[in-house]
Amino acid sequence: MIEVTGHTRNVLLDVAKKKRIYVEGNFLKLLRPVKDDKEFEEYLKVCKEKDRTSRKKRLEVTKQVQSQNKELELAAEENIRINKQLSKALDETQIAMEDARVAEKEAMIAKAEAEKLRDDAMEDLDTLQKRTQFELIGKIVRVALIIIMGVGLITTVLFGYTLMTGQENPILESTWSNLFGILLTNSFSIIGTIMGVKYATEGKGN
Amino acid sequence: MIDTLMLIDDENLFHLVFEDACSLLDIALSIEALDSSDEADKKFKDWFPNDPNHERPECVFVDLNIIGSSYDGIEMIRKINTEYGNGCVIGIISSSQDEVEINKAKEVGAQFWIIKSDDIEPRLEEFKNDYDGYKNKTAPFKIYK
Repeated sequence: MIEVTGHTRNVLLDVAKKKRIYVEGNFLKLLRPVKDDKEFEEYLKVCKEKDRTSRKKRLEVTKQVQSQNKELELAAEENIRINKQLSKALDETQIAMEDARVAEKEAMIAKAEAEKLRDDAMEDLDTLQKRTQFELIGKIVRVALIIIMGVGLITTVLFGYTLMTGQENPILESTWSNLFGILLTNSFSIIGTIMGVKYATEGKGN
Repeated sequence: MIDTLMLIDDENLFHLVFEDACSLLDIALSIEALDSSDEADKKFKDWFPNDPNHERPECVFVDLNIIGSSYDGIEMIRKINTEYGNGCVIGIISSSQDEVEINKAKEVGAQFWIIKSDDIEPRLEEFKNDYDGYKNKTAPFKIYK
């Protein structure tokens, strides 16, 4: 402890009285008045009280600033977190858009392929129908030719038989000549029709 | 009252809070506040083994996580206790209450753990009452919650 005496004591009291300047800080805790110096004792009390008040005030303000700083730090951290989330969401959206674009492209390719397959299938069906028709026509022609040739053959055999046996029959003769004429005409007509159909079908492609 | 007290903490605002609180509670006459453990390490190195001007603090408060420093509070305590001759009351002042860290601090010779909060004064007052026990090494490790 430092005992304040004489000149120093008077100067301190005078400065306090005239200029209202007091000793402050922890140095105050080292100062001690001379025994029975009530005036300086009172002065030190005032100094300590003033120092205490100003420290309390400063402590309060510092704590306030400290707590505001903490709030700001928390807010900044929250901002950073939100920004991170936003940029992550943005990235995810971009990826999703890219995926959608790829999917759209794939869908278009698939559509084109499906359309091509549909066209091929229709073409195959058309070809099949044509072939079936053609086969049917072929069968009809074959049957018609067999019938024509059969009827022609039977009538010719019958006519030949009557000629050979001498049993001439005018009805059979006229029948044979009519029938032969009709069959010949009709067979040429059928052949002509078939040729026409075949020619028309070939003109449209396979 | 503690003659010289050292605070090692990276938060400058806490330096002001600590100084004012210690002054109001008449805990210490002189407080030296440092914001890095490297600075403290350099000073303790200079004071060891001889300290001609008696600058070595009587008591040291170290923060657990000191941002921008090479050592954390626990390593700083270990260095002071094992490399720089011990001889001062030393402990942690931190907002952490991690049991693992508290046990580590105890192992390296920390004498107390004060939990930092907005209302630090009651804890410092309690510490002040226990201080003599820490000085003569009779007080057990204590956590001020």
